[in-house]
Amino acid sequence: MATLPMYASESARAASASESRYRITVPIAPARNARVIALDARSAAVARRISDGPWANARFYTCEATRGRRRADEVLLHGIDGVPAALDDMLRGTDVVVVIATDDSGGALAAAIGSACSARAITTAGVVLGDGFEADDAVAALRPHARVLLLSADESDAFELLRALRV
Amino acid sequence: MLRQDINELLTQTGPGTPMGDLFRQYWIPALLAEELPENDSPPVRVKLLSERLIAFRDSDGRYGLIDEFCAHRGASLWFGRNEGSGLRCPYHGWKYDVTGQCVEVPSEADNSSFCENVKLRAYPLVKVGDILWTYMGDPAKRPDLPEYEFAHVPQEQTYTSKRWQQCNWLQAFEGGIDSSHVTFLHSGGLKSDPLFKGAKGNEYNMKDTKPFFEVADSEGGLFVGARRNAEEGTYYWRITPWVMPAFTMVPPRGDHPVHGHFWVPIDDENCWTYSFDYHPARPLTAAERQAMIDGHGVHSKNIPGTYRPVANMDNDYLIDREAQKRGETYSGVAGIAMQDASLQESMGPIVDRTKERLVPADSGIIKARQKLRKAAIALRDEGVTPPGVDTAHHRVRSAAVVLPQAESFLDSCRDAVKATPGVPHSSV
Ligand code: FES
Ligand SMILES: [Fe+2]
Repeated sequence: MATLPMYASESARAASASESRYRITVPIAPARNARVIALDARSAAVARRISDGPWANARFYTCEATRGRRRADEVLLHGIDGVPAALDDMLRGTDVVVVIATDDSGGALAAAIGSACSARAITTAGVVLGDGFEADDAVAALRPHARVLLLSADESDAFELLRALRV
Repeated sequence: MLRQDINELLTQTGPGTPMGDLFRQYWIPALLAEELPENDSPPVRVKLLSERLIAFRDSDGRYGLIDEFCAHRGASLWFGRNEGSGLRCPYHGWKYDVTGQCVEVPSEADNSSFCENVKLRAYPLVKVGDILWTYMGDPAKRPDLPEYEFAHVPQEQTYTSKRWQQCNWLQAFEGGIDSSHVTFLHSGGLKSDPLFKGAKGNEYNMKDTKPFFEVADSEGGLFVGARRNAEEGTYYWRITPWVMPAFTMVPPRGDHPVHGHFWVPIDDENCWTYSFDYHPARPLTAAERQAMIDGHGVHSKNIPGTYRPVANMDNDYLIDREAQKRGETYSGVAGIAMQDASLQESMGPIVDRTKERLVPADSGIIKARQKLRKAAIALRDEGVTPPGVDTAHHRVRSAAVVLPQAESFLDSCRDAVKATPGVPHSSV
């Protein structure tokens, strides 16, 4: 049976500023275990710049263009400190991967990383920096896998996305 | 999440605030033309960007938007007599024209020049389409009049309504670029709403409830593309344009009229949602227009004589749990407009964005906030004219198309997202 609300806080009117004071406040733990992968030389520079941001769990990687090498088990990454890491190991325990691309040299990698993430049910986002044309192939390769593609002329979008995601 | 200082920056639009200054670069809707239906009709109170104003239409048909309060002792000119080419304060008879100029102070000697030095703050008020637009910024920087297509097609092709929304403009606006809520919140409407139902696109919408998104800069703001699986080898794309500061369009469905919104801050805790519906190539049918008047589609059923929705926070939005259970509505609230408004208002007058947990699917919102922030700061620090002031940026459209999987919606839809007079919108 439907009951009629009695107090302000039992009705939609409690959307007031004064009632907002009673919202429960608990610290929000970073929920995301993010990996950021730069696909080409210019995006590696971007990743390097943002890697010393205020991140809780995010880790940053680069990978050089490896034309022809398409199998996920062949993709070799480097941590921002230069330490090599296999894609497989890197994806363990993560739940969001943000791929950064600026040109087409990383197209094949994008496809390999994208499908590896899809297979592991890891949400993938792509940030494609530039006017969008230099990275046509990378965009096309990411498209089937990336829940979101952010096509942007603004490098700080990569940073803002990560911050908004609380990684 | 968003830092508290950025949340304040984006949500405060009063005089002297960076976001307030940003809004003051644009022509924005002040009221509907129907609110001042004839010469010498009653004046209307208008609060915009935290400034209290009075709109009136004088004996010669000129529109004015002036400070609400009489320069003499501060009485509200809402009580004024609108007559003889001016608005007269009924307290002591001071009279003002549409420019705010005081033209008569009865207590002074005839021919006294006293009133020449009395002028109320006034803003231009110009009718374009069904809306009276104002520009509240520096007169020297006044841009050309708005060129949004809905306001320029012949009158029989367009309809505009407005409703009071009891929350900050930003959280209302964010709903306009948040394509991922449609599949849930509005799922009932796709089946039953006379202004939505029957389109082929609806089937793709219902079949694939996990869209993928692409967010791309445009000259005036953004294009947000939401992609769903269609037939083998193809995607169904819904493309939402945002033109700064607060104009968005919903992707169309079949040959239904296409619709969109303009969100205008009243003050920091209230906004006007303007909702328009138009067909670029044909008159609205009588049935379509009636459906809009009745509050279907993106419009709301308002309390007669007001712009407050019948379903509002004082009556729990007339929530119907049985309809929710039956699956007619997803949230139990009826109508697209109030489904959105009920949830946006429930967040509180200004939602605390430091507490959000955003996901990649929220990228459109993340990017829009970023663009607003950057534009407000570039204006404040360097006087940079923001995107969306140039009227060429207004001539955009939403689109709904089916494309081969390999194609980029930006490349394939270059023409579809341009407003070309007389050409039907791209829609499935
Ligand atoms: S699911 Fe988005 S606000 Fe609750
Ligand atoms: Fe909505």
